[in-house]
Amino acid sequence: MTAARSENSIFASWRVVPALLWALLVMLPIAALALAGTAQALPGMAVAIAALTLFVGALVASFSARYMRSDSARTSYFLTLAALVLAVLVFVMSANAILFAIAWVASGLLLSRLIGHADGLAEARAASRRSRATFLIGDAAVLLAVGILCWAAGSLSLAKAIAASGGLSMPLAALAALLLLAGAAARCALPPFSGWLLSSMTAPTPVSALMHAGLVNAGGFLLLRFAPVLEAAPGVRYAAIALGLGAAVWGIGIMAVRPDIKRSLAGSTISQMGFMIMTCGLGAYAAALWHLIAHGLFKAWLFLNAGSAIGMRRAGPAALDPRMVAMVSVVALGGGTLLVLAGSATAELVPLLLASATAAATFGAIVLGKTHWRSRVMLGAALAVLVGVHVAGFALARAIVEPPATPLLSPLATLALLALFLACWVAQTVRLAQRRPIPPALYVRLLNAGQLPSIQAGERP
Amino acid sequence: MNMYSPLATSQTMLTRAEVAGLVALAARTVPPLWPLESAIAVNPLAGFEDRPFAEAVTQAARTFGARESLPLAAWRQVYEQGRIGERELRDAAMRQLGGCYEAMANIAPGVMAIDLLMARLVQIEPACTETRASGLAPDAAFIAKWCAAYFDSNIAATPIPHRELGLYRCVLALAAHDPQFRDLAGERGTQLLLAVPRDPFEAIAEGLAERGSDEDALDHLGALVARLPGWAGHIRWRCEHADGDRVAGAPAAMADLLALWVLLERADALSSPPGRVTQGPAPEALARHFGLDAAALDAARTERLAAIAALDDDALGAIFMAAAELTYANTLLPRLEASARTTMSDTRPAAQLVMCIDVRSEPFRRRLERTGDYETFGYAGFFGLPMALQPFGEQGRKRLLPVLLSPQHDLVEAPAGGDEAAADARRIAADGERDERATGLFATAKLGAASAFATAEATGPVAALSMLARTLAPTVSARAAARRARRRAETLAPVLDPCAHETTGGFRLADKIGYAAALFQLTGMKARTARLVVLAGHGGSAVNNPYASALDCGACGGHAGGSNARVLAAMLNDPAVREGLAARGLEVPADSHFIAAQHDTTTDRVEIFDRCRVPDTHREELAALERDMAAAAATNRAWRAQLLSRAPDDLLAGSVHWGEVRPEWGLAGNAAFLVGPRQWSADIDLEGRAFLHSYDWTADPSGEALTTILTAPMVVAQWINCQYLFSTVDNERYGSGDKVTHNVIGGIGVVQGNGGDLKVGLPRQSLFDDEGAPFHVPQRLLTVVLAPLDRVKTVVEQNDILARLFGNGWVQLVVVDPETGKALRWRENGAASPEGTSITSLTC
Repeated sequence: MTAARSENSIFASWRVVPALLWALLVMLPIAALALAGTAQALPGMAVAIAALTLFVGALVASFSARYMRSDSARTSYFLTLAALVLAVLVFVMSANAILFAIAWVASGLLLSRLIGHADGLAEARAASRRSRATFLIGDAAVLLAVGILCWAAGSLSLAKAIAASGGLSMPLAALAALLLLAGAAARCALPPFSGWLLSSMTAPTPVSALMHAGLVNAGGFLLLRFAPVLEAAPGVRYAAIALGLGAAVWGIGIMAVRPDIKRSLAGSTISQMGFMIMTCGLGAYAAALWHLIAHGLFKAWLFLNAGSAIGMRRAGPAALDPRMVAMVSVVALGGGTLLVLAGSATAELVPLLLASATAAATFGAIVLGKTHWRSRVMLGAALAVLVGVHVAGFALARAIVEPPATPLLSPLATLALLALFLACWVAQTVRLAQRRPIPPALYVRLLNAGQLPSIQAGERP
Repeated sequence: MNMYSPLATSQTMLTRAEVAGLVALAARTVPPLWPLESAIAVNPLAGFEDRPFAEAVTQAARTFGARESLPLAAWRQVYEQGRIGERELRDAAMRQLGGCYEAMANIAPGVMAIDLLMARLVQIEPACTETRASGLAPDAAFIAKWCAAYFDSNIAATPIPHRELGLYRCVLALAAHDPQFRDLAGERGTQLLLAVPRDPFEAIAEGLAERGSDEDALDHLGALVARLPGWAGHIRWRCEHADGDRVAGAPAAMADLLALWVLLERADALSSPPGRVTQGPAPEALARHFGLDAAALDAARTERLAAIAALDDDALGAIFMAAAELTYANTLLPRLEASARTTMSDTRPAAQLVMCIDVRSEPFRRRLERTGDYETFGYAGFFGLPMALQPFGEQGRKRLLPVLLSPQHDLVEAPAGGDEAAADARRIAADGERDERATGLFATAKLGAASAFATAEATGPVAALSMLARTLAPTVSARAAARRARRRAETLAPVLDPCAHETTGGFRLADKIGYAAALFQLTGMKARTARLVVLAGHGGSAVNNPYASALDCGACGGHAGGSNARVLAAMLNDPAVREGLAARGLEVPADSHFIAAQHDTTTDRVEIFDRCRVPDTHREELAALERDMAAAAATNRAWRAQLLSRAPDDLLAGSVHWGEVRPEWGLAGNAAFLVGPRQWSADIDLEGRAFLHSYDWTADPSGEALTTILTAPMVVAQWINCQYLFSTVDNERYGSGDKVTHNVIGGIGVVQGNGGDLKVGLPRQSLFDDEGAPFHVPQRLLTVVLAPLDRVKTVVEQNDILARLFGNGWVQLVVVDPETGKALRWRENGAASPEGTSITSLTC
């Protein structure tokens, strides 16, 4: 009945965006290879994160070509999306502190804008404001930290500023590191900054995918990039571990109680970001980088697929047998103790043992499951592939980042940390298996987490 | 005085039974809301159908805080696109003014009343300012939050505590821990939590008694129900339409919801109801537009001017809607009059096709008819079978029938045929079990406090590959799923015969004969059928789309209709059934073979079932028919692609693409329901806007078939029509708003953004085109019956529901007399005697 008009023709300006992002993705490794060995060589971590951002950005743009086709502000949407991806690229690649700062702040503002894209909804406007306010606090901390570092180094080169952090006086180093941690926590939506992420479901679905895959990771990138600063301030590393641990557990709680798919995923992101920040604090940089990249892909996929949650069957409560989980946990803890006794406890001990325990428990569940033997073989093979992928990715991450920092925690503390995760896991599995609800007071707190204050009677044009 | 003392001693306290009665009536303010897994179109104003249309729209708009019509700007878009005729708009405007004489009244020299009104309709900038609340009030947000947590069926891993107590008591228990409740209800609320009766009915009775006046108790409760129409509708579905296994463990009734509202009311935490204010321009402004001096007009003219100036957007919109209805009727009815006396040919066609009455069947049927000697029929897409089917390897059953009925036959799906099928079925079962196991392990692992992190890391790269494939090569990645579905269909079939020990399962021979005979009786199909008769159900194709089931067959309860077609085809091929039919005078030729099929309304492909049972003698004809169907599909797809402003191939890609928000237009554009033989409408391009139910008045002297058609399929069509109508009129209140910010909640529906009420109706993308103009023009269903007037009159008068729908103007009825070919319109306003007035004499 109505003919296609220019805004959706194949020549519409917004159609450039997916093509541009795919082209940049192709060019990135070429540029990296071409520059390798020269003075302008791109750091491996920057290339990896840029590749992730471009990949998810290009996918999201292609997805949006359908999904956002009938949006009244699609041109503005695609341009903001492109600008956002480019801003991330700039701050990831930048060697200059000012450029870094501008791109960092811009990425936050652009993301806020996309969260409020549905500007007809009062709730979207409120969510946008909330994220902007949070980012501005976090960004101020980051800018201050970078300012301190540059002032101390007397240079605007980020590399020099970071390198000079070793020579900072203790209070100044601690202050810079603490500010960086605060900035990272704001982007990663760790408590007390979780609200913006939990109320950002007003963003169109593909924006959420990009947000959870690309933008929240910026906090992880920040700590990896400025790792020497943190190493100069061990106290702040303890804080990072504590904060990350808290967020990891809290986020899982939120995920478990949310009845809506998108906020359940947001809870999961808080938890995963907490784990990543904790890993950074431990000094296991390769583990953190690999987690950042793989989780980004994982979460983008889950978000883009969020429309499929209608009519899904609830997973059976006994997918993992609590007894087996308990057994695996004991074995993992025993293995950890042996490693510690053997003196080979590295910063990577916790993430590696948790991964091993996960693989072991899943494998056990597959083998002991009551399915046809052929199914068991296939599932076992699939799990083997996943483990292989994980190991390969981890090895790759190791090749491109600095070696792990000296372990911060004493062997005993490391074991305690490991035991804490495993204990939570066992307790949780037992509860799930019995379908026992959690205490009402805790339930209500988790359910209310991040809720926007209710908006009444906003005037609407 | 203790203000919290129980009020049981009070004289004004209603009894529990009285409250139950009130609650049951108040519940009817909203229609039931089906989970999106099997979306059913309902009239959001179903609770107002006992009033005349215009009155109901106004009343409902007040109750729900909704608009009464599209905004003027949108109507003008429709008008400028030429979808409303100028003459018809003028006619409708004249009617609004009270007829010719009033319309022609001079306001000033050369300026008539109609000129003023037309200017307001199409020229003057809408000066109306509309104010309404956006976002939920805190009280509604509070209740919506707890409804979401309570009714969740599959997303939260941890169950809500105290679910077994029922919604009301569960929230009472949890609100004590909820700081938001304290903020909302204050000290008094906290005390009430302890003091209110635990029984929802008693709690409501106390609340009503405390409120005092109980004359308007029903209205008051109805208004409370309407504050969250989505969750209230969900509760109605749970109580009235859900299978027990779907709602087990979470008891909730409307009284629970109302008791919560009453609790907030007693704590003085109720916000003002969702209101909305509109205003027309001042009479002076209207006068100025015509260069008139309002002060200089005499009293009568000032009054006329003021009356026109006082019309708000809603009133102007109503004129536009009337004009849209007139435009459509004026185009369609003369053609139907012209072809009313077409006689049916007596030759035996090469093949016959029975499809659903759905508006999407018509364009395909017309194009298929052109490719060869084919005859097509329209029949309710569940093929008259009130059945439920338990799919192989699943626990629950699917209700494959209109929601007006309840299942009479519970079927299971089982391997069809010999050992090979049994072995295949075992493999399918094992694969299903494996996938379920994998999903379960993944879900558990990504939730575990120790396993969540490694799970994300290990699956991330695999997810990347999946995303690439699904985004850039959707057809390739969908192939595996299609193969699985095909294998399922080839291996498994619904079992018709009852098990020895069950009474409801399966069909007895008498049932089979009855259902088989109904096909002929209702559609007027002659027993001398073609050698091939295809019974085609239908379903849509959409991926990652919460509204996928809204594209499926409404007559099959929001599912694809292939299984029903398979069952009826199997019955009709059964020699025992054929014998029974013959005994009833329906001698189906022995060389007729019935084939079940399913029309995919998104891709227009037709899938043939049970191919191996087609006799060798019929294979060549089937191959020819399939070739013609493919050709018809291609041309139909090309036409539909144009409507969607896309390339035909893009429709195929979109049907499997996970980012597609509008795989097809669905039933958008629906406007008419034609009851008559296909020959009557065969030469008219109905543009996919008409439901077609085949009917032969000569074969139905008693009017029994007509009664069934008008009281069942037509009522379903009216629900669909009203759903599209009101979802377009106010997409936020009666529809579900923009798809891109939808958030699936509880596995049963969607909310906008972070939460709020469960969304009802259809999303914006299903109704408005890419540029934001309405694709679906809101207009009421026009039912046209080709039958003698007396017979229609008898049927309508004998059925209250029809008298109500036609009399109150929810559906417009036109009867085309088969003898004279004259169209006669049924009068609105409940006039009992249908004095037909000619449709074509509307202008003066």
